[in-house]
Amino acid sequence: MNKRAGIGFYVFLAVFVFLVMFPFIWVFLTSIKPPGEIFSSFKWFTSNPSLESYDAALSNRPLLRYMLNSFVVSSLTTILALLFASFTAYAVTRLPIKGKGLILGIVLAASMFPQIAIISPMFNLVTDLGLRNSYLGLVIPYITISLPLAIWILSTFFQKIPFELEESAKLDGASPFQTFRKVVFPLAAPGVFTTGILVFIAAWNEYLFALTINSDDTWRTVPVGISMYQSQYSIPWGDISAATVIVTIPIVILVLFFQRRIVSGLTSGSVKE
Amino acid sequence: MNKRKRRKFQLNEKQLGYAMVIPSLILVFVVVLWPVAQSFYNSLFDYRLNDPARSQLMLGATIDLERYVDNHYYIDSQLEDLTSGEENEEIINTITSIKESIDQYHAQLISDEEINTKVEKIDEMLASFTPVTDEDLKYAKIDNDLASDYREKLHSSSEELTAIAESAGDQTKNQKFQQTADLLEATSGNILESNFIGFTNYGKYFKDARMWNSLWNTTVFTVVSVALELALGLGVALLINRAFKGRGLIRASVLIPWAIPTAVAAMMWGFLYDGQSGIIAHYLEVLNIIPGSSWLLSTSGGGMFSIILADVWKTTPYMALLLLAGLQTIPHSLYEASNVDGANKWQQFWGITLPLLKSSILVALLFRTLDAFRVFDLIYVLTGGGPANATESISIYAYKTLFAQQNFGEGSVLSVIVFLCVALISFIYVKLIGSDLFAGRTK
Repeated sequence: MNKRAGIGFYVFLAVFVFLVMFPFIWVFLTSIKPPGEIFSSFKWFTSNPSLESYDAALSNRPLLRYMLNSFVVSSLTTILALLFASFTAYAVTRLPIKGKGLILGIVLAASMFPQIAIISPMFNLVTDLGLRNSYLGLVIPYITISLPLAIWILSTFFQKIPFELEESAKLDGASPFQTFRKVVFPLAAPGVFTTGILVFIAAWNEYLFALTINSDDTWRTVPVGISMYQSQYSIPWGDISAATVIVTIPIVILVLFFQRRIVSGLTSGSVKE
Repeated sequence: MNKRKRRKFQLNEKQLGYAMVIPSLILVFVVVLWPVAQSFYNSLFDYRLNDPARSQLMLGATIDLERYVDNHYYIDSQLEDLTSGEENEEIINTITSIKESIDQYHAQLISDEEINTKVEKIDEMLASFTPVTDEDLKYAKIDNDLASDYREKLHSSSEELTAIAESAGDQTKNQKFQQTADLLEATSGNILESNFIGFTNYGKYFKDARMWNSLWNTTVFTVVSVALELALGLGVALLINRAFKGRGLIRASVLIPWAIPTAVAAMMWGFLYDGQSGIIAHYLEVLNIIPGSSWLLSTSGGGMFSIILADVWKTTPYMALLLLAGLQTIPHSLYEASNVDGANKWQQFWGITLPLLKSSILVALLFRTLDAFRVFDLIYVLTGGGPANATESISIYAYKTLFAQQNFGEGSVLSVIVFLCVALISFIYVKLIGSDLFAGRTK
């Protein structure tokens, strides 16, 4: 449908983008208002912008610590998931093994399991291992989310690599593992990277496990930390807006840089090509 | 396999394949399948973390040796103490008989070699004030009959002593006897009966109005939000499926709501909906769409509206992206051919676009429906399940039972219910989608 885009179309796009971005715009505008103004008026723009809310957001709660925690946990999860998933995806898509359908079925089923059905035994397990309030205590349960996701997306990418290259590597005398490591894996690197981004985002956004397992404030991740800004009696909207802006910036950068890859990863499972 | 020179340890392709698959499968079993099975097993017990008598899964009678040994240590001396200075023959006889039977049961208990070793070990630890943290040491299985007899004896002895305490004239004597009676009662509480209750919990939740209510809330949320997301997502995808300038900008703006953590989005929307300083609540009130600015978060209808709107905002763009990718695989020639045949846009949509988009739509719906049915963080952060449980989803109810009430038995029932619903939904979708789901992955 290669219709030409007219003025009406661009107006529609502008409205659409505005609606989608409105919460961010408003939260950003709120974050630079002096705290007194937030509660008194619905004016869009403040006449005397201040960074007071940012100062409060960073000093009232250890926001940078939350970000560090999230970063470490998500990175470890991503590395582990990619390591195991690339082996499995390679074997399932390109090696002559039996039960491929069954394996992928188990993986897909595992990705559909509700986290709430896993949380209580996982909580007991992590407690028994003495890993509550630690990075490893979150990385273990995060495997439940990241590994099936990574296998699922990676197998699409591996499937797309032409078989001819593998054949010629074989003829040149490479062992099956060498073929994987030196031929297929480098060719799949962009796909592996894309999968990595998606797994990283999934781990960064996880809430339920982080809420129950790392309950100590210094070990909280960003989503849990942000949700703890509200107290029983008052809700410091200024702090919350500023904190939201701070934690959204890395995601915006990630999305701006890698948007093509993210889209290709997201849609890889849903479209027949 | 062609004939090549191989080093001895080199795996052939098949072996390598299995070797590469096994680690992941083990992980999936350990972190996904085992916990779900364990949840189901837990749901068959009256299992509460905050109640020492039920903080274990006990298929048979069990004894909390740490507490038992500690209590038993005092029983002898206290009973001795009661007889000394006592003149009433009858009371002395009662106490002596209590002491004898307790000694007898205790002897029977430690006649088991394993329990005897544990008791001695714990004795040493208690003497040096070391808490017993090893569960295997702390708890021991005992014979069911012995457990119930011993329990019963301790309980009845305690009652006898209480009766004496009550009939005693002076305060000190009363206190002395009551103290020992309490000690015996406490000891009887250290002998734990099995807390295996089978499907009793399920029966309870089957009649629980709050469970049905949360299941209903979850269904309403899932159906309404997924339907809206599909309709809006399809509309947006159809509109932007053309060549135009600024695709990158659209793509980025669409991805950002998807990429931010749901909890962060929920906090943002919480601010926008706020009855006092929320801009959306304010505008909707000014436009007379809602009765008052506090309607959104303080009424049941408003609460449901709020979480659905926030979810639609967060996931419509994602839906549009998936459908757009599907649209782009439909060959352009089909539309040209139908133009020649004189079909209008509407006929083209129903005749070409929708049938060819069917598998993309179903896959997108599968993942969205499952996500929506498992909804937790959005509701937990935005409304907490309130007002008055009006937005409580089944996952929220399960979480509250598990971690706020520390009731792992009943909470597991709820999580098993979520699991069964999710399994049913996936089963229906997978039947509808069929083998397309695996297309392009296995050869």
